[in-house]
Amino acid sequence: MTKLIEVQHITKEFPGVTALDDISFDLNEGEVHVLVGENGAGKSTLMKILSGVYTPTGGNIIIDGNSYSHLNPTLSQELGISIIYQELSVINELSIAENLFIGRLPTKQVVGVPVVDWKFINGKAAEMLKMVGLKKNPSTVVEELSISEKQLVEIAKALVMETRILIMDEPTSSLTPEEIQRLFKIIRNLRSKGVGIIYISHKLDEINQIGDRVTVLKDGGLVGSKKLSEVQSKEEIVVMMVGRELKDKYFSTRQSSEDREDEIIFEARNISTPDQKVKDVSFKLHKHEILGFAGLMGAGRTELMNAIFGAGKKESGSIYLNGEEVQINDTYDAVKKGLALLTENRRETGFFHNFEIFKNVSAVENLKHSKLKGATGLINTNSEKQMAEQQKEALAIKCTSIFQNITELSGGNQQKVIIGKWLCANAEVILFDEPTRGIDVGSKSEIYKIMRQLVDDGKGVIMVSSELPELLSVCDRILVFRKGEISARLTSAEATEEKIILAAT
Amino acid sequence: MESTDNLKQKKSFSQIWERFGTLAILILLVIFIALFSADKSKFLTTSNIINILYQSSDKIIIGLGEFFAILIAGIDLSVGSILALTGILAGKLMNAGMPVMLAVFLGCIVGGAVMGAINGLLVNFTGVHPFIITLGTNWIFRGLIMIISDARAVSGFPPEFKAIINYRIFGQIPMAIIIALLLALILWFVTTRTKLGRNIYAFGGNREAAWFSGINIKFYTLIVFIISGVCAGIAGMVITAKTGAAEPLAASGYETFAIAAAIIGGTSFFGGKGRVWNVVIGGLVIGLINNGLNMMRVDTFYQQVVMGALIISAVSLDTFVMRQKK
Repeated sequence: MTKLIEVQHITKEFPGVTALDDISFDLNEGEVHVLVGENGAGKSTLMKILSGVYTPTGGNIIIDGNSYSHLNPTLSQELGISIIYQELSVINELSIAENLFIGRLPTKQVVGVPVVDWKFINGKAAEMLKMVGLKKNPSTVVEELSISEKQLVEIAKALVMETRILIMDEPTSSLTPEEIQRLFKIIRNLRSKGVGIIYISHKLDEINQIGDRVTVLKDGGLVGSKKLSEVQSKEEIVVMMVGRELKDKYFSTRQSSEDREDEIIFEARNISTPDQKVKDVSFKLHKHEILGFAGLMGAGRTELMNAIFGAGKKESGSIYLNGEEVQINDTYDAVKKGLALLTENRRETGFFHNFEIFKNVSAVENLKHSKLKGATGLINTNSEKQMAEQQKEALAIKCTSIFQNITELSGGNQQKVIIGKWLCANAEVILFDEPTRGIDVGSKSEIYKIMRQLVDDGKGVIMVSSELPELLSVCDRILVFRKGEISARLTSAEATEEKIILAAT
Repeated sequence: MESTDNLKQKKSFSQIWERFGTLAILILLVIFIALFSADKSKFLTTSNIINILYQSSDKIIIGLGEFFAILIAGIDLSVGSILALTGILAGKLMNAGMPVMLAVFLGCIVGGAVMGAINGLLVNFTGVHPFIITLGTNWIFRGLIMIISDARAVSGFPPEFKAIINYRIFGQIPMAIIIALLLALILWFVTTRTKLGRNIYAFGGNREAAWFSGINIKFYTLIVFIISGVCAGIAGMVITAKTGAAEPLAASGYETFAIAAAIIGGTSFFGGKGRVWNVVIGGLVIGLINNGLNMMRVDTFYQQVVMGALIISAVSLDTFVMRQKK
């Protein structure tokens, strides 16, 4: 088997941190090499070295028998390396075809003047879309596509560039099970054509389905590589990643429904949104209960959460907190009444990139004890810092200090800061919308523990998630959403993956 | 993650720059002008320094208002015409026999607040970018000035009006300077010590995250434009008293000075970043250039060229330094 790329003894040092320490790694033709590791393990740094964004401090990269001490973005592309990042980089305003050929639009001569050859582009684009199974007209504007469709556009773009080494960073984090299977089919198809794929994932269930080999990184060091055919169980990989057996391997927080109290702390009645994404939905949340919302992407779960929280428009419906009806007209009302919403997209709707950690943590607490939409009152810097230190301790946020800018943290730690923001505000009912998307196994189990701790303290917790194992292991009750309506209500005892999928589709 | 040791130094350099960069520009300018002024003995005299402060005061005041509009990643192009309209209003009220203080309060402060509120409400209701809204209201306000004043200057105010604004503390420092500094002090307090200020920064940094954290975007948009309007009104009061007349065409194009003061002061056009005192220095830089170029006997037409070039270089320098951070 030919080696497409070989990374030898790569080291990358940042001030005060060794991000990568003597990493060796290779990728064969027609192989899916899975790369796993907790947040901050060095996966992204390694990818940035391969894409030529970072210059390694030491080591070599061997491609086609040539040795390079570092790459640059142009060279990396010329060598056939493409990366599909978790945050997709398609340009929403352009058509699919334009996205595929951006920067390299083929031209033809018309009366001696080079003009863009749209006929060729649209033809070629249609061919590529067929290969990735996206049934869309190449002239469709990308904005109109769903996240999974945009991802397919990125893959098609890599195909146009005749990529030999395709790096995918958490490609399934926003996909539904069905879309994931379709993606896997495309990956297998690419593999059979000799493309080498570096597949970064946090989802251990997927790795067995798609990978040939797995390499585990931890704290910038190489833990080891294994052929997946030799891996006996998921736990084996978890142990490599975490370095110890996860005591409660993310699965034992659930409690039996008999222990639950009947007291209802939150209720939503007949919620509808003007766009009909949510149609007349009612549900109750018991004390000491984690309530899960399952469903496909676009089923209306996020819209429901936004409508409850006052962030999205509500056409009708009422909300009860501890038995009393509450009026929520905007997010300020929601915060004041004791609701919290951890949004599904931390970068766009979660944190303030111009703020240090401590200012991010105190943002909601500042509003909670204020009048006039939060415009009254003074900042108490000391209590702010104290709060931030507390959350840093309690949530084990990895940072140099609370004065560090939040953008310098890894995804999992950013998520913890946002959770800290809501914990400080001491909310009664917390809505978690996809709280573990793009987060490593270690942080995931920590977030589950936090959720469980919250309900033990008498708070209400709702979790929207597209990962079924997560819902099944964490939630005490699961509501399944389909086309804006609740299509099934399952207790933890009755819920199975099959039942949920059946109700969701 | 940041990289390598020298990057750490660069990073702390960029932090220093963010804090003191504007001051550095000011000091460099002072040295430059001091070296090249035609009459060196006159430039660095107390009376000339006070004169610079006096000339800068109105630019500082509207710059402070503009700062808030830019802080939420917006802009206010109507400050010049709000300034002129509030001057005319206060002048008309005074001439109608209203007590000076009351006329100034109603005409300039309340008037500025109302005009700012109109901007804010229009932005909120239409969802159109403040650039377009205030481009439009700039014309509307200027049109109202012409209608109200019949395109004639309002003058002949009670003498105490001029006396108050032009009063010199210790016989030296004009009230206009004190007003500008006092305003800066209040707004510095607002931005650094109050929840209102913090929420405005949060809004500017990430509008969506602010909304999902309980910050009512529309409410704060309104507040910010009211602040900008009131600042323009205060500047209207100062300029009207300085010149002794409310001119219909006063402060035409002053939005350029306001924006320049804010951005020379390092306020980010993307929102969420900037400091009140740096805007004060930004306003001073503008006053200093006007004054210094006069001292260097540069033709007024060329002064405009220099001013434009300076805005571009200040912002490019800032962008350049910030880019090193990456």
